[in-house]
Amino acid sequence: MNDARVAIAQVGYEQKAYWRNPMAAIFTFAFPIIFLLVVGGSAGPSRVPGYTLRYSQYIVVAMLTFGLIAACYTNLAMVICTRRESGVLKRMRGTPIAIGSYIAGLIGSVLIVVAVLTVLVVALGLAFYDLHFPYHPFAVVLTLVVGIITFCSLGLAVTVLVPNADAAPAIINGLYFPVVFISGVFYPLAQDSVLARIADWFPIFHMIRALVSAFEGGPGSGLRVGDLVVMVAWAVGALVFTARRFRWEARRPKA
Amino acid sequence: MVARSDSSGPDAVIRVTGLTKSYGDFVALDGIDLEVQRGEVLALLGPNGAGKTTAVEILEGYRTRDAGEVSVLGHDPARRERALRSRVGIVLQECAVDPYLTVTEALTQRAGLYDHPRGVDEVVGLVGLGAKAGSRVKTLSGGQQRRLDLGLALVGDPELIFLDEPTTGFDPSARREAWEVVHDLCAEGRTVILTTHYMDEAQALADTVVVLAGGRVVATGPPDTLGGRDQGMSTVRFVPPDGVGLADLPLPAGVEARVRAGFVEFAVAEPTAALHALTRWALERGEGLSGLAVERPSLEDVYLALTGEPEAPGTDGEEEGS
Repeated sequence: MNDARVAIAQVGYEQKAYWRNPMAAIFTFAFPIIFLLVVGGSAGPSRVPGYTLRYSQYIVVAMLTFGLIAACYTNLAMVICTRRESGVLKRMRGTPIAIGSYIAGLIGSVLIVVAVLTVLVVALGLAFYDLHFPYHPFAVVLTLVVGIITFCSLGLAVTVLVPNADAAPAIINGLYFPVVFISGVFYPLAQDSVLARIADWFPIFHMIRALVSAFEGGPGSGLRVGDLVVMVAWAVGALVFTARRFRWEARRPKA
Repeated sequence: MVARSDSSGPDAVIRVTGLTKSYGDFVALDGIDLEVQRGEVLALLGPNGAGKTTAVEILEGYRTRDAGEVSVLGHDPARRERALRSRVGIVLQECAVDPYLTVTEALTQRAGLYDHPRGVDEVVGLVGLGAKAGSRVKTLSGGQQRRLDLGLALVGDPELIFLDEPTTGFDPSARREAWEVVHDLCAEGRTVILTTHYMDEAQALADTVVVLAGGRVVATGPPDTLGGRDQGMSTVRFVPPDGVGLADLPLPAGVEARVRAGFVEFAVAEPTAALHALTRWALERGEGLSGLAVERPSLEDVYLALTGEPEAPGTDGEEEGS
């Protein structure tokens, strides 16, 4: 069988499974869009310190990041943990499918979800918050691609830490929520604040800063290479960890 | 037929010699020999923790072995070659199907992974899910999901099929239908390796039964002769006519008869002569022997004697000690 053709077919099946499971779409679409409309809509005209974007415009970028992480990290990790628990991964491993085709199907489906999310969130920003169409569209796309790679890698890596599906939500969200809160997703961080210095170690803060820069008008390409390098470093670490420790079967107490 | 390696046939699908596997201090398999011929149904029986699932999962390529030779369709399953995976169908103990796809979608997805799959509609009919073809998996009953699971294992048109406790949770008619499917698979020349806790399932399906206990093969043979079953003692049981004591009955010399719950019961190696004497005696008296029965040891009796462990059929679905 042609591996590429199988991978493309897998994207189709993953898409069907994704849209038929309403839980997955809530954090990826409903939460960011509601937050955007309510919080962004109640924000005043003041600019975010250190940026040229207004607060409501900053929230557009932050919610795009939040939805992307929900799709890449949270959803991907939950899907893998659930399938590992039910034995679907083990069964797949007993078929002739190439592992690469299976993973490519999952990631391809995530790409489609992020594309839909990006169009929706940016369209809302353009319609309601006078967001300018990105001055640096190439930088926006590149930052999103690096973000997808980074958070999909972290989503794969976190499954190593999850022993079984019962523990999955606690571990997956327990690692992610504290970082989200300190990374300026819901409110901008003051430059050089204590939180900003802590958040500087994690990829979410860098994703938002790079994406804001790409949306802002300004000289140069809009690319923040330093931020992207931090994200890629996290991705590489996560992939190495995953490659060494990934498990196809849930860990269960011995009978 | 399972045979010793010195008489191995040319058409062996599986050959195992000296298979050993430990988990820490626990010896799951302690030197197992097996041989399975094309078209054969082999049933692995044994209490939980006897090593059934460990043995099957080594053959399937999910687990590695510590020692021994293993050949499955000419491949070493530990290498997990795609050429082998495409010729084997697997049903695990867990029912493993994606809940959000429909029956047809799940089978079409799986069929797309094989070079020469069976037709999806054909497989839907084969496992009796025609009425549910368009339903999402999560709306199916447990038994229906299990049948889909079997269908997923068959859609790749495998030569060799592993069924790990395939009918657990089935109602009696669904089990009969599943047995029909397995019979048909063998008629097509496919080979089936089955683990089960149901003795009637082994009796109905297996050409050869292998009993595992404590990681060793304790008996091998056709279900009708396993463990000397065909040579065991028969039990004759009947209700004697009113007012007749044990001493009045024409019982064979040397047998120890006893009365239990109103029945006279005795064990005898060759029941023909004893029955003839008894029934002639009763007919001459003009009476019948109500409840007259001759029972041979059941597969379950033999199994329990071999494994030395009382185990009711139906204690299933538990993980092995692995």
